[in-house]
Amino acid sequence: MSVSKKVVLLGHFGVGKSSLLRRFVENTFSESYTVTIGVHIMKKEVHLEKESVTLVIWDVEGTDDFTKYRPSYLMGASSFIYVFDASRPVTYSDIKYNLEHLKEKFPHVSVHIIGNKVDLVDSEVILNDLKAQDIQHSYLSSAKTGENVELLFQNVAAQLLENA
Amino acid sequence: MDSKERLEILKEILLTEEREFDKDLVLKIEKLKSRQDNLSDRVTPILDERMDDFVENMPKALGPVITETLKTEIKKSQEAVAEALYPVMGKMIKKYVQAEIKKLNEDINKRLNKTFSFRNWFSGKDNNIDAAALMYEQYKARIEQIMIIEKGSGLLKANYAKRPTLDEDMLAGMLTAIKSFVEDAYNQGEMELERIDYELFTIHLQNFSNYYIAVVITGIYDDDYKDKLEDVLLDFAQFVVNKSDLENPETFTKKLKSYFTDERI
Repeated sequence: MSVSKKVVLLGHFGVGKSSLLRRFVENTFSESYTVTIGVHIMKKEVHLEKESVTLVIWDVEGTDDFTKYRPSYLMGASSFIYVFDASRPVTYSDIKYNLEHLKEKFPHVSVHIIGNKVDLVDSEVILNDLKAQDIQHSYLSSAKTGENVELLFQNVAAQLLENA
Repeated sequence: MDSKERLEILKEILLTEEREFDKDLVLKIEKLKSRQDNLSDRVTPILDERMDDFVENMPKALGPVITETLKTEIKKSQEAVAEALYPVMGKMIKKYVQAEIKKLNEDINKRLNKTFSFRNWFSGKDNNIDAAALMYEQYKARIEQIMIIEKGSGLLKANYAKRPTLDEDMLAGMLTAIKSFVEDAYNQGEMELERIDYELFTIHLQNFSNYYIAVVITGIYDDDYKDKLEDVLLDFAQFVVNKSDLENPETFTKKLKSYFTDERI
């Protein structure tokens, strides 16, 4: 039996949280947009070199203001994955404000910042923009092409084991 | 004779015919109007009468035709009708039967208590309770699954199910999300969700400080059973569970299985 960890996907509406999760768990992608209402939970066992981790991933509905997230959905999380849409600056312009809120309320939970939909933008442009705004992102990914999706969750799982 | 009078004489001479035609036309129109009114007075009662007759006789005249058409259409699409009605009727019947059995069960409980009371026992009354006892055995509450779920994270710490179910980790997570949602929505301090009913299933939720226990039950879940179940879960939490169990789901699951295999209720 592998150890189970709760991971929560956070971010604005329509940044591709559910698509990232489906790509990771089911290896599928759909162009049609489905709004997540409340929360949707999926799980996947990630096999690392020595151990396995079962990630129980809570895909919570998107919001522009993280203070409005239901605290009970975030409680008990071992890791947050903060997803923004690389093609919509409005979804990462307030990243510092939202991160401060997370740090204040959940100081011991690690946060991974992911720029999704990188297939829609010029990587160099977005990297320069993030640098200019001093945003330390973990990965640029694409749920559509699968770019960096597996790597992201592998990295999350490895870090959780390290911290365990 | 002035110019005005001359003009009048001239009009008289030139327009005599047109004026007569106008007069005739007005007369004809008035006649027509009068005829229409007369006709209306005569026709309206006849039409009303016919309409009343039609309304009165329509069910007799068209009823058999409509009934026959409906019968034919229903016969033609029997499967579709059955498909549409079956789930609705099935659910209604199930709910009705369950409610009736619950009443019956309560009645049986009363009788059993009465029968086995010391007063009746020593009075030598007829203790013919076989049928009631059998019914009680048939529909008594049974544990289908027990999950021990960490509060907050919703992570499953131990699970015992008689039959394979939907992914238990996701089930534990969704139960926690539902529980949190309800508790947040009503925000009544220390109040916690204690029970979820789903058709023939009841999910009993018993809260402890770091975890809660979800017990999926089929059969009659009445107050008597609830009391017993609460006592058993309290005993389990007090005498069996220790702090390290939450960190070790594998041994915790073994403990849970061995404790509840015979249901203990």
